[in-house]
Parts: sequence; C-alpha cells; structure tokens
Amino acid sequence: MTGSARDHAIGRRLPLIDGPEKVTGAARYTADIAAPDALVGRILRSPHAHAEIVEVDVAAARALPGVAAVVTGADCDQTYGVLPIAMNEYPLARGRVRYRGEPVAAVAAVDAATAERAIGLIRFTARELPAYFSADAARAPGATPLHAGSPNNIQREVHHEFGDVTAGFAAAKLVREATYRCAEVTHAHIEPHAALARWDGERGQLTLWTVSQVPYYVHLMLARCLGVAESRIRVVKPFVGGGFGARTETLNFELVAALLARAANGAVKVELSREETALTHRGRPETEVRLKLGMAENGRVTAAACEVVQRGGAYAGYGIVTVLYAGALLHAIYDIAAVRYDGYRVYTNTPPCGAMRGHGTVNVRHAFECLMDEMAEALGLDPFAVRRANLLAAPCTTPNGAIVNSCGLAECLDRVERASAWRERRRQPAPGRGLGMACSHYVSGAAKPVHWTGEPHAVVNLKLDFDGSVTLLTGAADIGQGSSTVLAQVAAEVLGIAVERIRVIANDSAVTPKDNGSYSSRVTFMVGNAALDAAQKLRRRLIEAAARLLDADPAIVECGDEVFRVPGGQHEGLAFDAVVRAALGEAGPITTSGSFTVPVAYQGGKQRGGAVGATMGYSYAAQVVEVAVDQETGAIAVERVWVAHDCGRALNPLSVEGQVQGSVWMGMGQALSEETRYEDGLPLAANLLDYRVPTIQESPPIDVQIVESVDPNGPFGAKEAGEGSLAGFMPALANAVADAIGVRFLELPITPDKVLEALAKRRRELRLAAARGAA
Amino acid sequence: MKSILRLVLNGRTREDAVSDRSTLLDYLRAVAGLTGTKQGCDGGECGACTVLLDDAPVLACLTLARRCEGKRVETIEGLAPGGRLSRLQRAFHERLGTQCGFCTPGMIMASEALLRRNRNPSDAAIRDALSGNLCRCTGYVKIIESVKTSAAAEP
Amino acid sequence: MTAAMPGFRLVTPRSLAEALAARAADPLARFLAGGTDLLPAMARGLVEPETLIDIGMIAELAGIAVDGDRLRIGAATTLARLQADALVARHAPVLASAAATVAGPQHRTAATVGGNLCLDTRCVFYNQSQWWRRANGFCLKREGTVCHVAPTGTRCHAAFSGDLAPAAMVLDASVEIAGPGGRRIAKLCELYRDDGAAPLCLGDEELLVALHVPAASGWIADYAKSRVRGAIDFPLAGVAVALRRSGDTLAGLRVALTGTGSRPFRLAGTDAEIGHGVDDAALERLDKLVQKQVSPMRSTMTPAHYRRRVAAALTRRLVRRLFAEAAQPPMRGGGATAPQSEMKP
Repeated sequence: MTGSARDHAIGRRLPLIDGPEKVTGAARYTADIAAPDALVGRILRSPHAHAEIVEVDVAAARALPGVAAVVTGADCDQTYGVLPIAMNEYPLARGRVRYRGEPVAAVAAVDAATAERAIGLIRFTARELPAYFSADAARAPGATPLHAGSPNNIQREVHHEFGDVTAGFAAAKLVREATYRCAEVTHAHIEPHAALARWDGERGQLTLWTVSQVPYYVHLMLARCLGVAESRIRVVKPFVGGGFGARTETLNFELVAALLARAANGAVKVELSREETALTHRGRPETEVRLKLGMAENGRVTAAACEVVQRGGAYAGYGIVTVLYAGALLHAIYDIAAVRYDGYRVYTNTPPCGAMRGHGTVNVRHAFECLMDEMAEALGLDPFAVRRANLLAAPCTTPNGAIVNSCGLAECLDRVERASAWRERRRQPAPGRGLGMACSHYVSGAAKPVHWTGEPHAVVNLKLDFDGSVTLLTGAADIGQGSSTVLAQVAAEVLGIAVERIRVIANDSAVTPKDNGSYSSRVTFMVGNAALDAAQKLRRRLIEAAARLLDADPAIVECGDEVFRVPGGQHEGLAFDAVVRAALGEAGPITTSGSFTVPVAYQGGKQRGGAVGATMGYSYAAQVVEVAVDQETGAIAVERVWVAHDCGRALNPLSVEGQVQGSVWMGMGQALSEETRYEDGLPLAANLLDYRVPTIQESPPIDVQIVESVDPNGPFGAKEAGEGSLAGFMPALANAVADAIGVRFLELPITPDKVLEALAKRRRELRLAAARGAA
Repeated sequence: MKSILRLVLNGRTREDAVSDRSTLLDYLRAVAGLTGTKQGCDGGECGACTVLLDDAPVLACLTLARRCEGKRVETIEGLAPGGRLSRLQRAFHERLGTQCGFCTPGMIMASEALLRRNRNPSDAAIRDALSGNLCRCTGYVKIIESVKTSAAAEP
Repeated sequence: MTAAMPGFRLVTPRSLAEALAARAADPLARFLAGGTDLLPAMARGLVEPETLIDIGMIAELAGIAVDGDRLRIGAATTLARLQADALVARHAPVLASAAATVAGPQHRTAATVGGNLCLDTRCVFYNQSQWWRRANGFCLKREGTVCHVAPTGTRCHAAFSGDLAPAAMVLDASVEIAGPGGRRIAKLCELYRDDGAAPLCLGDEELLVALHVPAASGWIADYAKSRVRGAIDFPLAGVAVALRRSGDTLAGLRVALTGTGSRPFRLAGTDAEIGHGVDDAALERLDKLVQKQVSPMRSTMTPAHYRRRVAAALTRRLVRRLFAEAAQPPMRGGGATAPQSEMKP
C-alpha cells in the first residue's frame, strides 16, 4: 500500500500536529487550566531524613479562616506504586518519614498565602532514626532497615548468568576490570509538576487533570488510594511540558490533590515549585558499575561480568525494573555468549529514583563502552573495529532470551565513521582535542506490561462521521515527543487521506481508550500498530462502499490522495466525501477499534525477571563526539556530535532527528554538568542554577543520520527513536577526552575540577617517574 | 496594597488593579488571563517567562507588574494578531524548534527581541540571545535552525 | 517550598532625596533596582522588606557621561546598556565585557550596575527555600548560628559573586554614595569586607549613586570568568586584569578577583612585577600570589580547590594575553581589550 505514486503520510518531515498551539501560547498545560473556584493546595514536607512520626497536629491549621481542608497520612491508608508487586509508598507519610521532602500533610485554602500560613501552623513531631545517604551506608551491617522485609536495605538482588563466563575469560587475550561511578541525575522537564482535582460531591466523582505520561496508572492509583470505583474517576492529560520518565509513575502530588479536593468537596490546584518538582524526581539513580570484560586478540568479547549497585532512594517505585533492565540490556547489542550480572537495588534516605530516558541501560552502557575502548587501545585495535567484531546477526535470539529481528548497527557505524571523517582525524591528533565513539541500543516498548491483565497492550479507536472527518482516539500521552502526530500519520497512510483530515483526541479517560502510556519508547511501535489495525478496519469499510459504487471487486480498489479508484480502470475515481456518504448511509457513523499485543514469544527468557528488557524491536545507535579540553581550566567543550540511529522505518524523519538530538544532548548533560547532590539528605541542587542543564551556549551541533533497518513487526517497519541514542553519548565523550588528554575518567559527570585534578595527578606521577629514572 | 496599573498589553491599552507584590507573570497569567507565558522555576533560572517590555526581553517572574506602568508589554499571544503565525512562530513550528512546547513562548519572545535588533543574526548572536532560556527537549539544534530560517525568510 | 511573594509596599520616588527620606522613614525598607537578585531572594524568604523603594525612576542614578577626567556611570544603569554603550566601549570596555558574562540577556535588561556591585553573597546553604533552610537548622547568614561551610568558625563564608566589581577595581574605580549625611566617595575596594553575612561597608540608609572610572591612558584590561555552563551561572572565579606595557616590560599591573571569597579584592603584590617581562617565571609568581590570596570555601557545588586553581589559571592566561596584545597597535573600534583612551568630554 505504500508502493503507489501518491502522497504519503509516513516518511514525511511533518511538523507536529499540535505545533501551532505551542508556538502561539494557546496550548494549555495543567497549570494553565482556568479554574476560578479552585482552592490552592500546598504540601508540608518532612524536614527529617528518617524518623518515626510522633504527631501531626493540624488543629491550628484547620482553624485558620480560609482553610477548606487539611489532610494527613491518617486520611489514606492505602499504598501506591508503579509495580503491583512493590507498592510501599503512601501519598502522605504514615508511621515513618524516609526522606527529606516526603509529604506529611497538605492544605487547601482560598489563596496561596493562607495555605502557606496554614502549613506553618501544622506541628509535626517525629523521633529521628539513623539515616543513610549512600548505598554502602544503607547496606552496612547493623543498619536500620527502612522497610520491613528488606533487612539489609536491599530492595532486590538480581543474579543472572548466561553461557560459560569462566571459560570465556579464560579464552580471552586480555581481561580488564574497572569500576565506574555515575552520579544521580534527574529529568528537569521545564514544566514543574501540577495537578488540578475536582471532586463532585453530589455524584461522588473525581476529575483530575495532571502532567502524567501514563494517565492510566494515575487512574488506578486514584481509585486505590481514594477507595473510589474506577468508573467514578476521570483523568485528563492536558499538554505536558516534558516527561523523560519522571511522570511515568503516579506521583504523590496527584493523589494529594485528589485527597484535598474530596476533603474540601471542591476543586484544588496543586502547583509544585521547582524545588518540590526536584524532590518528586524519580531520576536515574546514583550507580556503581563494576565491569569485567574478556577480549580476544581480534576484539571479540569473550565474556562479560557486571555488578551494579543502585542507590534507589526511600521507596520501591520502579526500582526492581531498573535493576533488571541494567542486566538485561547488557544483551541484544553485541553478540556475546557469556554474560554474568549481579544487581543490587538499595533503599536509602533520599528521594526515590525511578525511570529516566534510557531506563536502566544508560550507566551500564557507559561502563561497557568505556572499558571496550580502553581494551581496544590496549590491543592496538580501532574502536570501530572492536564494535564490528562483536556485531549481532539479526534475526537471532540472545542468551537471555530476547529476540532481535532487525539490527542496523553495522550501518550506523559506517555512517558515523564516514560523516565524522574518523579515520583521517584520528591519524592527525591535535593537542587537547579528541574524538571518541560509542554504541547504544534500546527497546521499542517493554514486551510485558506491569499490569498483566490480559488485555491488549494498546488500543486505538477511529471515528468517521458525517462531516468526513476522522477522529483518532488514543490514551497514548503526547508529552512533546510527537506521539499524536505519528499516530495520525500511520492512520492517514493506511486510509490514503491527508493527515490534516485526522483529528487526534488523546488522554481523556472519559473518551479515549485505555493505554499503557508513554514509557519505554512503546508508542510508535505498539500504539502505532494499534492505529494501523484500526485504520485497516476503517479502510476496509470504505473500500467496500467504494467498490459498490464503482461496481468493482473490493480487492482491487485503492485509495490514495483521498480518491478511491481501480488502478488502470476507466473511472476517474471517487472523492473521499462521496465514499464516506455511501459508507455511512447504511449504519451511520463508523467507529473502528484497533489493538496490538506483543506475542508471548517476545516476552523474554524464562529466568526470574526475564520479561524486563525484552521487546519486539531494538533500536541501535552509534555516535562520534569531538571535544576540546582546556588543560588550564579543565573545561571540556563538545565541538560536534555525529550520530546514526537505526529506528527502523522513520515514520517522521523530522521528529526522529529531534528525538535523537534531544537524547544525545541529554546524555551530554549527564556527562558534563548534571548532578543532584544531597547534604545529609537535603538536595543541594533542587533548582535550575545548581542543577546544571546545559544552556544553548555550550550545546554543540548534532548531525543526525537515520538508518532504516525495516523491522518486520513495527508499523511500516518502525522502531523507537526517542531514547536509544542517549546512552552512547557519555562513553563517546569519555573516550574522546581520553583521546584528547590521555586520561580515562571513571566518574560522571566529568566536571572541570575532576579534569584539573586528574591532570595535576598525572603531572605529579610523571615528575615522580622522571625523578626515579634520574636516580 | 493595590493600585491601578495602566499599560499597553499586546497593543491594547489596559487598566487593572494590581497589588504591589504582583509580578508581571502573576499579572499576565492571573489578571490578564494570558497563560502563554510560563513559570518553569522558582525565579530567574529558566527563561520560560520571557516577555518583551518596550521591545527588550525581560523575565516576567522578576519584574514587578507595577514597574510596567505606561510601558508596552508583549507576550507570545501578541505575535499572531491576525490569527496567522508570525514567521518566527512558523519557523519554530515547521523546523521543530518546539517539542513539549513549555519553553517555547519564552524562547520565541527572546528570539523576537533579537530579530528586532538584528535582522540577520549569526549563530553566535542567536546563542547569546537565547543563552538565558533553557530547553530540555531539543538540544537547541532545531531552535537555532528555526531562528535562522525565520531571519532568512522574507518579511 | 517556594512561598508566594510576601506582601510589601512599593514606593517610587522621583528624586534621590525622596528615596533617602523613604529609606530613613522605614527601617524595614530596601532599595529595589533591577530586582533580579532581590526578588528571588524575597520569594525564598531570605529578605523580608516591608517596603521596596524603586530607584528606577531617579534621573540622577541614570546615565553614562564623561565628567572631567572620569567616566560617571549611574548606579541604575542596566547591564544591557553598559554592554552597548559607546562611551563605555571607548573608555572602559572591560566593564562591558564583564557585564556580558552576567546571567542571561533577560537579566541584563533589568539588572543594574549598582545591583551587581552590591550583589548579596551566595552559598549553597543560603540560597535555598525557607523549608530547606529550616530543615538544615538555618545558617549564620540568616536566622541561624552556624556556618555550614565551616561549622567550627565564627563567620559566614558566602561568596561574593558579582562580575563587575573586579573589572571596575582594576580600573581603580570609586563609588559615589549618598546617605543621610550627604555624599561620599570611596574607592570601590573599600565598599567590601570579608564577611559573607555583611559583605558591604554601606550604611543601612546609604545608597550607591554612581561608579566613577578614572581616565587610564595606556592601560589595557579584560575580564575572564570560570563557570560550568556557558551562561546563566555565577562565577566560580572571575578575574580582571589591567596592565600597561612599556617595551618588553610591564609598566603597571592590576589584578582583581571575584567569586573566590566573601569579597572581591585587588590582588596585592602585583607591583613587584613592574619592570619585568611576562615570562613563565612571572606567570608562576602570579599564580602563587593568586592561590595564596583567594579564599574559596565550600559554598558552591564545585569544590573550593578548583576555584582556587582556576582563578590562578585565568590570571596567568589573561596576563599573558593582554601583555601580548599590549605590544600590538591598538585595535580600532575599541574591543574589550582596547587600551583606554583619554577622557574627552
């Protein structure tokens, strides 16, 4: 159906269908929703890192004129959490507080000043407990457990071994081990968190507008925590100002807004400050990666052994999945027969971590690509040659049971090697300048959803009505990545109509079908396939109607450019509107529903946790980073980046470029400047001055090459584009710095102070060596 | 304390009672109902609230509303008066200078301030002009392209 | 939690006398210039004035003019104006180059010369919300008794973080100050003291009126700033250097630093270099001088030892570069490093 010479909706550099709203200020984000009657909600947060709650006395706050409601942990005894097997967090703390900033009580009042005054009147008394701010401290013998059932503060251990690792190391020409430390980083979406809750006391119903990436999860947790039937809840996602994983889980403020609205019997708007948004962060955990690789003379990796320790923060959140991903995504990028993984997710008295772009893979990939580079150098091999020596041959099944059907990594390597003029440049080293490269990959949607209900993984509804418009209804959350646009393109392509004829309505649970939401880069692949299915069903109805009008066999009728015709036939063709009238004439407006489910075969290996990291389509990326290192100030300037990303068929190359650039650049922030840091559990960088998101000044040109290894299962062959190239940046940068100044950094971010320190250390060592040589 | 504020907002003269402590951001969003101007931080760190005050870019969150007395304030809503996108807006739309869109109004207003001073800015001038505006989606690559495209387009 | 902006009264005097009278009448009043530092501080509860005295409408505080053998820059002059002003470009380009490094363009539209010179000191334990500071037991700079940077000490180590001060110091600038007792002129260096909690030698009722920059024929100057990002950030260290060259030797050398302690200061001992050339040994001596005299503490996310090292590195680099440039014929158009010319009103 894509073979004819008509205008195609896919493969087009189509601007976002909701772009005009965004560039005119017409787009309404949660905080922008007019609710003149809404009360202002504010949250009292724990000053203690770890303490038994003695008393939360709200009498004075309640008595303050203008206060409509005060809620505490006593108002909700239900836990919540993203994983049904690990829900251990309350919307408002009960019994204990476990991190500084944890919500303890909340107030709804007529205005912000009154709400803040009321917060100040709440007397919170607690008895301090020992608090742990590092994974090591929390795991030390004798440490007080944060949670019952986790005596060593280890939330989850993972031990997986595939192939004969010992034999693999024995067969290696070179075995090296190194430990890499990656600081905790956070999403820093520019829109602060916000929610508007409206309780209808007459009907006992709740409507919540929120910044979620997965409104469905919010819906489930609202029902659970409020004890209200799911049918009495409506969740709406307005425009969302970025997510990057932060808003995948239901977050406490969403539940608090609802609790307040019910208590106040009205509407409550909760807008978090930047500081509170940072506290509610669910970022990428501080991670220690101890990695050992064996390498043959030709660069083949003979075995890998990897130990990962993640400082998970105070609650379970996504932790189990994160630590499983870190092990699973050691696989499916290279052909490695022997892999051992030991992962530890540790509870600490810091805000809970969660999913962040490249969930689970990023820090492990960093370690892997850095060590590979170092070993390549030791063996006198080119970094590209080492990657090429380990390529997967798709289709294949990995040792941990993942199926790889398409892999364009070889072409990615070729493209960036050429684009960056790698060979020529590496032959002409310049002082303080360097080139480095690395590869990365990611899933196109987690193959098994966390709520295993048996329902389809994605559903899209299409409605065709008398006006000839096609309405696409989806629960997939467009958070700026352009998911609504790509779904419209898929439907338009199938139907042979203009994209402009399609109106996308997303994320209003009263109207749109349930969707598992926007995480793990699942929307293009899974929801795209559901849109494809729905559109094919609608197309069939239209083709049948057209065939009747044309007196032709439906099998030979085609539709393109909104005209139905028989190819090679005499008839000039039927206009879309005419066919719509005919199709609707029988039964009125047509609604079709399409769905998609990942077959069980793709849901991973049999090992415990084997579903995590499994997907129907892996994306691949390779990148080259060029740096200039100022050896007097230690400043690293990224001069240029060349990246090639295999996203299968690029449904919208403009969007793919934007996603890849954004991913690479976000990796740059983690590599160079971003770091949350805690002082006894208080966040030092809960603002956009000290949490150093790169500015436009130091952000480099990023040259994107799209590689299209058409995937047999993706919609029109598409795979993911929004996460896979992030993980390659940090190692490519570290490798470039090593090329420039001969120092291999084991800690992220590589800030100027670390660079100067390392250079000074090297000078001392050289002096010492020279002195020894002289003696 | 409240007093009457008179200003020209997006070309229209307005009079409103505002309190001394109202920032221009409070005024725009809560009094004038223009929610295109965003708050992204706790004060002066992100640039999302950039508007034009007598053609110069300012942070609405750090500007007291009353200090705008008698001045011209322009927001993102004032750039497309005929219901058609300005060429700068069109460039941001067509070149994907916007993804989630939250920094976009501030980014466009900072770009607008630049283009009014300099019709043909270099890359360096664009970087300077937008150096107070954080974006978390684009890596800025397509933002720079958007401004350049707009500058190159015929008026 | 960021609080709603606290209540205050805004008054807008039209003359300096009115402004001073308003200040004298209200001990809890504060002068408001650009507001880019004061307003976020108020939102965090760091300052709680009952009255803000808007000094933006006072003619005497505005404007840049040559006045005899000096350049007079009104305290309410914005940094954007300073960057673009022709007189500044001709007579004191280092001020423009320092101004250009402050925050982002939107800040510079509003922020003023006086505000940047009188910028409050900064610290990771201080520039936080009320909730944060209370959870941390507050600090010596406000509401508390301990400096978390150096808990055993008795003073506050918040760092002065203005970029203009060192640039003005190497021009040997003075400040004109008005107060209830009339006008006084002080050397800019004397405006500061080494106490993060009370960094300014300025009476509560005094107001900075103008910066005076003397003519300095034959000097060449520039400013260099260390920060992690290319914009927005305050200096981890900032260095201004002015020098005069005579043949192959230095005829004058002034160095001033910011961001490395609670006050900006002129580096002592640079006169020893006069009469010498700028070779590796001289740069090494300067490096040592800087490292000895700066006093960075743990007041930023970036470690103190780095700020010390980079301050020295920037000094070396700037002296080396300016000394080389001083040998060239002056550039036309007056870039940041063009020699200062005689004042010609």
